[in-house]
Amino acid sequence: MHDARRTRPVLIVLLIAAIALITLDFRDAGTSPAHVVGADVFGPVERTASAVASPFESLFHTVAGNDSGEIASLQKQNDQLRAQLSQAQLSSQEQAQLSQLLHLTSASNYKIVAATVIAAGGAYSDTVTIDAGTRAGITTNETVLNGDGLVGTVTAATASTATVQLADDAAATVGVRVDGTNEIGALSGTGSTLGAAQQLKLTLFNATAVLQPGQTIVTFGSVGGRPYVPGVPIGQVTQVTSEPGSLTQTALVQPFVDFTGLGVLGVVVSK
Amino acid sequence: MFRRIAQALSIPAALIVAVTLQLAIVNRAPLPGGAVPDLVLIAVTAIAVCTGPMTGMLTGFFSGLALDIAPPAAHLAGEYALVFCLVGYACGRVRSAITYATGERTMWTSLTIMGLGVAAGEAGKAALGMMVSDPNVTAPAIKHVLPAAIIYDLVLCPFAYWLTSVALRRPAPERAPRPEFAQVATAFRVASAGSLGAVPNLRLAGSTPAAAAPPARQEPKLRLGSARSSPSSRTYAASSTAQPTLSGGRAVKVNFDRQKVGPAHPRQLASPGKGWLRAQPAAGSPALKHRPPPKGWLRAGRPAGTVPLRRRSPGSGWLRVKRPGGTPALTGNSPRRGWLRPAKPLPTPRRKTPGRGWLRPAKPPKLSWYAKSPGRRWVRHSHSPWRSRRQRLLALVGVRR
Repeated sequence: MHDARRTRPVLIVLLIAAIALITLDFRDAGTSPAHVVGADVFGPVERTASAVASPFESLFHTVAGNDSGEIASLQKQNDQLRAQLSQAQLSSQEQAQLSQLLHLTSASNYKIVAATVIAAGGAYSDTVTIDAGTRAGITTNETVLNGDGLVGTVTAATASTATVQLADDAAATVGVRVDGTNEIGALSGTGSTLGAAQQLKLTLFNATAVLQPGQTIVTFGSVGGRPYVPGVPIGQVTQVTSEPGSLTQTALVQPFVDFTGLGVLGVVVSK
Repeated sequence: MFRRIAQALSIPAALIVAVTLQLAIVNRAPLPGGAVPDLVLIAVTAIAVCTGPMTGMLTGFFSGLALDIAPPAAHLAGEYALVFCLVGYACGRVRSAITYATGERTMWTSLTIMGLGVAAGEAGKAALGMMVSDPNVTAPAIKHVLPAAIIYDLVLCPFAYWLTSVALRRPAPERAPRPEFAQVATAFRVASAGSLGAVPNLRLAGSTPAAAAPPARQEPKLRLGSARSSPSSRTYAASSTAQPTLSGGRAVKVNFDRQKVGPAHPRQLASPGKGWLRAQPAAGSPALKHRPPPKGWLRAGRPAGTVPLRRRSPGSGWLRVKRPGGTPALTGNSPRRGWLRPAKPLPTPRRKTPGRGWLRPAKPPKLSWYAKSPGRRWVRHSHSPWRSRRQRLLALVGVRR
């Protein structure tokens, strides 16, 4: 009551400051210096907290039925990553054509940097923070995967941390190829629109292509391997939906990766 | 002093812990429903409820800013700062307003404010995300996430409130009113409720000694009599405490037998504003209205039956027209006529009556319509109950006129 004269100017100043921040960040498309400052300040804090909280985390994942020790997970992931990379680079003649087409460099030019998830975004955004940054060679627009398949791409990197946009995020779109028929399309995340069910939405470019449940979706690849290297498995088609009025078929894809139980990730770093 | 410093330092420490827990653990927990609780929002509401609007909005702004710029954030910087700042301010403001109005702070009102605050905060986050066209914050996503998030927040609210109130416990609440004011307000409320509204609402602020006078001062007088141990007589005395102040110079009449005290007596006291117009204190009985002979002096000189003659003198028409009808209820001493027409001075015909002057010396012209202010219920424009409710609500949120 008595301090209304004192609080109201402060409130107005704070609101104006917040709106100014929003405006600046909106102009810079979410890459304003505030995020850099925040990453520098909160990166070490999150790293420490994640180290302290790893028992709870394993408890969570035990409850969620995803029990795995970190070392065993790393080992398994190393093996699978090697297998995937070899498969991706030696799969078929289409791969060779694609490599030529996209000016992909040879297999020796890729390197995997392992990192651990130390923080995650809120209820709406599907982003995680990993504990490796530009000091480890990670830059933006690099593919992130784990032992199961494609995880996402790096959207921001500081010296010691990097932010990964998951393939499940509503803002993520991945160029994909249907394994077997080689039809190409776009895979976009659904965010939280489906509730707890994390499914991706596939739209084929070819109007006459036929989709069937059970087909595997892999990444198509981008120029220079950014933001997605080719041949990384993503998921399986679970449900084909042909919407009336739509020219092409759409389908729901169940990803191989469990986006809520991410632990150790690998970032494909170009030398 | 050391305790105050420790408490002041505990707020940013708690916020840093909340932000870290939120990002490193809570957001990664695979909770059912696809939503997670917002520990920072809960902490902001708890701190705002336990301290005040200033601390609430500062903590809200800076903790929201921390959530905005901490690494995995995908939304624009400043969104959560804006929402949490408003939520912290509103929670602290409502809390202090309710404390100011009721003089006490209870756990349930605090928890209610916190619940409303976290619900508003979650809704505000979603609304602001839609406004800045965040691709993740769409209508179907909100439909899935928002209810679950609010439910998780509400579950965690009591724990946060308990923790915060223990950590920020202090001898006197920051926004509590002065204790003597609270006691006067409570005593006045009890007195006005006990006296059936005999105390006019105009004197709410304790500006009159009648409101602050404790009823215990007059109880010893009553106990002197034979019925000193009768609880019913004491009850009557308590209900008529306002009698000396209301009836002017009249003395207090103590009636132990309670025989002459009819039910009309407190009703007469209940309307003090009428006394300034009424000639007789017992004007409620219709037999007394026929009684006053001085009014005959107006009627005697009137030629019976000529109506246009009466219309010719409009100044006294309102008195004279009612007379031939013989309805005593509409005689000149009806107060509604008098105060509705201030252009016709009411005391003027009365002063011409010599009978009144010598009969009642206790009613000098000082007590005329101009000198004595009428009661509030006669002057105010609206008798709607929503008028007083609106004023109470406005006072609750801090609007003072």
